[in-house]
Amino acid sequence: MCGLAHYFESEGLSTVLVGFVREHIEAIRPPRSLFLDFPMGRGMGKPNDPWFQKKVIRAAFELLNTNNGPVIDDFPETIPVREGRMGYALPPELVLSIDDIGDVNVVLAEVKSEMETLRPDYDAAVAARKRTTVGASGLSVEDLAPFVGGFLGGEIPPTPRKGMPAIPLLKLVVEDLEAYYTETRTHRDSIDDLELMGKWFWEESKAGRLLLLLEAVSVASDNKVMLQIVEMSLMAPRFWSEGPLPGTSAAGW
Amino acid sequence: MTKISEMPAVARDFISNLDLTVTINPSWTKAVPAYERRVSIVSTAAVSRRGDKPFSWLAKDSRTFHKTDRDLVMTHVAVEFDRSAWQQDLNTIIPLDRLEEMAAEGEIDSVAEEHYSFMGAADPVTMEKSARAVAANMKQEGVNTVFLIPI
Repeated sequence: MCGLAHYFESEGLSTVLVGFVREHIEAIRPPRSLFLDFPMGRGMGKPNDPWFQKKVIRAAFELLNTNNGPVIDDFPETIPVREGRMGYALPPELVLSIDDIGDVNVVLAEVKSEMETLRPDYDAAVAARKRTTVGASGLSVEDLAPFVGGFLGGEIPPTPRKGMPAIPLLKLVVEDLEAYYTETRTHRDSIDDLELMGKWFWEESKAGRLLLLLEAVSVASDNKVMLQIVEMSLMAPRFWSEGPLPGTSAAGW
Repeated sequence: MTKISEMPAVARDFISNLDLTVTINPSWTKAVPAYERRVSIVSTAAVSRRGDKPFSWLAKDSRTFHKTDRDLVMTHVAVEFDRSAWQQDLNTIIPLDRLEEMAAEGEIDSVAEEHYSFMGAADPVTMEKSARAVAANMKQEGVNTVFLIPI
């Protein structure tokens, strides 16, 4: 992001950015930057809080009034993070193995039942927000878990989406599945707590367990891309963990 | 402040080893007064309109969305950032409604018709061609101010 600022500025466009990692801003020195001590993914701070969001924008735009740069300012308010983590992290000890899979049909039936139970609240959330972020994969909600289940046997299933191979599609399916749950719960219970949402989905839900089984399959896979997904923490949220997933180096990047 | 040195191990190692090389000389474009600002947002959240081609994992290209578009999806490769915020309110990452309100209140001149998204996981050096194409589009519609928002 900081690097992009230089391109736009050199084209005669004034830029101002917000950023979460102050050391990077200091190193790349974009023209005008507002450092935010917020969790990543919350550039304007707080959802459904127009007053706070505008406060961030106004603080950033104030930097456009400076005559010389680069200039870095600190937004005066903090949204606390836990133990240096800027997002949710799975407990390092919560690791499943392929021996935990058992009958895939049973696993999928449990997820299906769970998702059907959530469905009225998901529909209510979509109606209230007039939008959903579920659907990046292009698959229907009903097809998400079965597609993941197709990987649990250790083989790569055929892709149902023309022009997109199965593994990149799997990434989007995983994120659609999580979004279905978190969109539902944040609306149903009127909560905005990324740690609680992460814990509920990944540690307590049947869908989270399905994805941890997928992670186990990925670690044991001969497929380089499947292994890369877990090496790079691209599927389960282990980027902010205190150590790599056993069997991986976390050095895939 | 969350310092890199205080982050957990996996993140600390990854973030501290990123290549931060800047291959362009720093430029400075004097900003116009607030009442003349026409603002376009550039996000690195890899969002796009539903049905658009998803971003590849290290995409160099960009996607465009209109200021009235709300049916956006995210195809960012990374999972280390919180997605529950934008699920609840698009303005948490792309504050189009807030900018419209500020334009209506006279704090800025106007909100651009078009806004842009990149894949934040990719090296910005590889995005230069796309960024310059985006800049050309912006200038064509009279944008003079770019608000850059990471994910």
